[in-house]
Amino acid sequence: MATQIVMDHTGDTRHYFDATDREAVAEAEERFRQLTGAGFTAAVRTASGDAMVTRSFNPTAEETLFFSRLVGG
Amino acid sequence: MSARSLLIALRRVGASLARYISEVQAARARYRARFATREERGVNLLREWLSPKQRAQFDAKRYFDVIGCDSKKRYRIHYGHTTNVHEMGHDDLPSVGWCFGPQGQLVVGDVMLAQKIALETYEYSALAVANRFTIRFSSRSLR
Repeated sequence: MATQIVMDHTGDTRHYFDATDREAVAEAEERFRQLTGAGFTAAVRTASGDAMVTRSFNPTAEETLFFSRLVGG
Repeated sequence: MSARSLLIALRRVGASLARYISEVQAARARYRARFATREERGVNLLREWLSPKQRAQFDAKRYFDVIGCDSKKRYRIHYGHTTNVHEMGHDDLPSVGWCFGPQGQLVVGDVMLAQKIALETYEYSALAVANRFTIRFSSRSLR
Protein backbone atom coordinates (compact mmCIF):
# COMPACT_ATOMS: atom_id res chain seq x y z
CA MET A 1 0.00 0.00 0.00
CA ALA A 2 1.30 3.43 -0.92
CA THR A 3 0.61 6.25 1.52
CA GLN A 4 0.10 9.97 1.19
CA ILE A 5 0.70 11.71 4.52
CA VAL A 6 -0.67 15.19 4.92
CA MET A 7 0.50 17.17 7.95
CA ASP A 8 -2.37 18.88 9.75
CA HIS A 9 -3.55 19.99 13.19
CA THR A 10 -4.29 16.37 14.17
CA GLY A 11 -0.66 15.37 13.57
CA ASP A 12 -1.27 13.99 10.12
CA THR A 13 -3.93 12.46 7.90
CA ARG A 14 -2.98 9.36 5.92
CA HIS A 15 -4.46 8.31 2.59
CA TYR A 16 -3.67 4.75 1.55
CA PHE A 17 -3.97 3.50 -2.00
CA ASP A 18 -3.16 0.41 -3.98
CA ALA A 19 -0.63 1.35 -6.66
CA THR A 20 -2.04 -1.36 -8.95
CA ASP A 21 -5.59 0.02 -8.77
CA ARG A 22 -6.06 2.54 -11.59
CA GLU A 23 -8.95 4.33 -9.94
CA ALA A 24 -7.13 4.64 -6.62
CA VAL A 25 -4.00 5.92 -8.39
CA ALA A 26 -6.03 8.52 -10.28
CA GLU A 27 -7.57 9.68 -7.00
CA ALA A 28 -4.14 9.87 -5.36
CA GLU A 29 -2.78 11.81 -8.34
CA GLU A 30 -5.63 14.28 -8.08
CA ARG A 31 -4.93 14.71 -4.37
CA PHE A 32 -1.25 15.32 -5.18
CA ARG A 33 -2.20 17.91 -7.79
CA GLN A 34 -4.61 19.72 -5.48
CA LEU A 35 -2.22 19.82 -2.52
CA THR A 36 0.82 20.98 -4.48
CA GLY A 37 -1.41 23.46 -6.31
CA ALA A 38 -2.42 24.87 -2.94
CA GLY A 39 1.25 25.45 -2.04
CA PHE A 40 2.03 22.23 -0.20
CA THR A 41 5.50 20.74 -0.57
CA ALA A 42 5.61 17.05 -1.45
CA ALA A 43 8.54 14.97 -0.28
CA VAL A 44 9.49 11.35 -0.70
CA ARG A 45 12.30 9.27 0.72
CA THR A 46 15.01 7.90 -1.50
CA ALA A 47 16.31 4.35 -1.22
CA SER A 48 19.10 5.66 1.02
CA GLY A 49 16.53 7.20 3.37
CA ASP A 50 17.16 10.82 2.42
CA ALA A 51 14.21 13.14 1.90
CA MET A 52 13.71 14.52 -1.59
CA VAL A 53 11.21 17.14 -2.73
CA THR A 54 9.16 16.04 -5.70
CA ARG A 55 7.04 18.08 -8.06
CA SER A 56 5.43 15.23 -9.93
CA PHE A 57 3.24 12.40 -8.75
CA ASN A 58 5.00 9.07 -8.39
CA PRO A 59 2.57 6.19 -7.84
CA THR A 60 5.41 3.85 -6.92
CA ALA A 61 6.60 6.00 -4.01
CA GLU A 62 5.91 4.13 -0.80
CA GLU A 63 5.30 7.32 1.17
CA THR A 64 4.71 10.87 0.03
CA LEU A 65 4.68 13.54 2.71
CA PHE A 66 2.92 16.88 2.27
CA PHE A 67 3.43 19.99 4.35
CA SER A 68 2.10 23.49 3.92
CA ARG A 69 4.00 26.48 2.55
CA LEU A 70 6.86 27.74 4.71
CA VAL A 71 6.51 31.13 6.35
CA GLY A 72 8.76 33.21 8.57
CA GLY A 73 8.01 32.99 12.28
CA MET B 1 -39.72 26.85 53.62
CA SER B 2 -39.02 24.37 56.38
CA ALA B 3 -35.54 23.45 57.46
CA ARG B 4 -36.06 19.96 56.01
CA SER B 5 -37.02 21.33 52.57
CA LEU B 6 -34.03 23.63 52.63
CA LEU B 7 -31.75 20.72 53.46
CA ILE B 8 -33.15 18.64 50.58
CA ALA B 9 -32.71 21.55 48.17
CA LEU B 10 -29.14 22.09 49.30
CA ARG B 11 -28.35 18.40 48.84
CA ARG B 12 -29.73 18.51 45.30
CA VAL B 13 -27.65 21.56 44.48
CA GLY B 14 -24.61 19.85 45.98
CA ALA B 15 -25.21 16.70 43.95
CA SER B 16 -25.65 18.72 40.72
CA LEU B 17 -22.48 20.63 41.44
CA ALA B 18 -20.53 17.43 42.10
CA ARG B 19 -21.84 15.92 38.84
CA TYR B 20 -20.89 19.08 36.93
CA ILE B 21 -17.36 19.10 38.39
CA SER B 22 -16.97 15.43 37.52
CA GLU B 23 -18.06 16.07 33.91
CA VAL B 24 -15.64 18.98 33.57
CA GLN B 25 -12.79 16.85 34.92
CA ALA B 26 -13.63 14.03 32.49
CA ALA B 27 -13.73 16.49 29.57
CA ARG B 28 -10.33 17.90 30.60
CA ALA B 29 -8.87 14.38 30.78
CA ARG B 30 -10.24 13.58 27.31
CA TYR B 31 -8.76 16.81 25.91
CA ARG B 32 -5.36 16.10 27.45
CA ALA B 33 -5.37 12.54 26.10
CA ARG B 34 -6.22 13.80 22.61
CA PHE B 35 -3.52 16.50 22.79
CA ALA B 36 -0.91 13.95 23.88
CA THR B 37 -1.93 11.66 21.03
CA ARG B 38 -1.58 14.46 18.46
CA GLU B 39 1.84 15.41 19.80
CA GLU B 40 2.91 11.77 19.83
CA ARG B 41 1.77 11.27 16.24
CA GLY B 42 3.91 14.22 15.20
CA VAL B 43 6.96 12.93 17.03
CA ASN B 44 6.46 9.42 15.63
CA LEU B 45 6.28 10.77 12.08
CA LEU B 46 9.39 12.89 12.67
CA ARG B 47 11.32 9.89 14.02
CA GLU B 48 10.32 7.80 10.99
CA TRP B 49 11.84 10.38 8.64
CA LEU B 50 15.03 11.11 10.60
CA SER B 51 18.25 9.40 9.59
CA PRO B 52 19.48 6.84 12.14
CA LYS B 53 22.09 9.32 13.38
CA GLN B 54 19.55 12.13 13.71
CA ARG B 55 17.09 9.81 15.46
CA ALA B 56 19.69 8.77 18.02
CA GLN B 57 20.61 12.41 18.61
CA PHE B 58 16.95 13.42 18.96
CA ASP B 59 16.19 10.58 21.36
CA ALA B 60 19.14 11.49 23.53
CA LYS B 61 19.01 15.30 23.42
CA ARG B 62 15.64 16.41 21.96
CA TYR B 63 17.41 18.08 19.05
CA PHE B 64 19.12 16.91 15.87
CA ASP B 65 21.54 18.38 13.35
CA VAL B 66 20.98 18.77 9.63
CA ILE B 67 23.35 19.89 6.88
CA GLY B 68 22.04 22.60 4.56
CA CYS B 69 22.01 21.33 0.97
CA ASP B 70 23.25 24.64 -0.50
CA SER B 71 25.74 26.10 1.98
CA LYS B 72 26.73 22.81 3.69
CA LYS B 73 26.33 24.65 7.00
CA ARG B 74 25.13 22.73 10.02
CA TYR B 75 21.82 23.60 11.67
CA ARG B 76 20.50 22.33 14.97
CA ILE B 77 16.75 21.85 15.14
CA HIS B 78 15.56 21.95 18.73
CA TYR B 79 12.24 20.61 19.99
CA GLY B 80 9.78 23.46 19.46
CA HIS B 81 7.56 25.41 17.08
CA THR B 82 9.42 28.68 16.82
CA THR B 83 12.93 30.11 17.18
CA ASN B 84 14.15 26.53 17.35
CA VAL B 85 16.54 26.42 14.36
CA HIS B 86 20.09 27.43 15.18
CA GLU B 87 22.90 27.73 12.68
CA MET B 88 25.96 26.17 14.28
CA GLY B 89 29.46 27.54 14.08
CA HIS B 90 32.68 25.58 13.81
CA ASP B 91 33.03 25.83 17.60
CA ASP B 92 29.76 23.87 17.99
CA LEU B 93 28.06 27.00 19.31
CA PRO B 94 24.99 28.57 17.70
CA SER B 95 25.95 31.60 15.64
CA VAL B 96 22.51 32.75 14.51
CA GLY B 97 18.89 31.63 14.73
CA TRP B 98 16.33 31.17 11.97
CA CYS B 99 12.60 31.28 12.53
CA PHE B 100 10.39 29.61 9.95
CA GLY B 101 7.93 26.77 9.65
CA PRO B 102 4.98 25.45 7.74
CA GLN B 103 1.84 27.56 7.71
CA GLY B 104 -1.02 26.56 10.01
CA GLN B 105 -1.46 24.98 13.40
CA LEU B 106 0.80 21.95 13.31
CA VAL B 107 2.20 19.83 16.09
CA VAL B 108 5.85 20.19 17.08
CA GLY B 109 7.07 17.01 15.36
CA ASP B 110 5.53 18.08 12.06
CA VAL B 111 7.11 21.53 12.27
CA MET B 112 10.54 20.06 12.97
CA LEU B 113 10.20 17.58 10.11
CA ALA B 114 9.22 20.30 7.65
CA GLN B 115 12.22 22.38 8.83
CA LYS B 116 14.54 19.41 8.35
CA ILE B 117 13.31 18.63 4.83
CA ALA B 118 13.44 22.30 3.85
CA LEU B 119 17.04 22.76 5.01
CA GLU B 120 18.19 19.49 3.46
CA THR B 121 16.51 20.01 0.10
CA TYR B 122 15.94 23.73 -0.54
CA GLU B 123 17.95 25.56 2.10
CA TYR B 124 18.29 28.98 0.49
CA SER B 125 14.61 29.21 -0.48
CA ALA B 126 13.60 28.25 3.05
CA LEU B 127 15.92 30.82 4.62
CA ALA B 128 14.64 33.45 2.20
CA VAL B 129 11.28 33.40 3.99
CA ALA B 130 12.76 32.89 7.47
CA ASN B 131 13.35 35.57 10.07
CA ARG B 132 16.88 35.73 11.35
CA PHE B 133 17.46 36.31 15.05
CA THR B 134 20.39 36.70 17.37
CA ILE B 135 21.07 33.93 19.83
CA ARG B 136 20.88 35.46 23.28
CA PHE B 137 21.23 32.34 25.40
CA SER B 138 24.37 31.49 27.26
CA SER B 139 26.55 29.12 25.32
CA ARG B 140 26.53 26.65 28.18
CA SER B 141 22.74 26.20 28.06
CA LEU B 142 22.82 25.23 24.40
CA ARG B 143 25.48 22.59 24.47
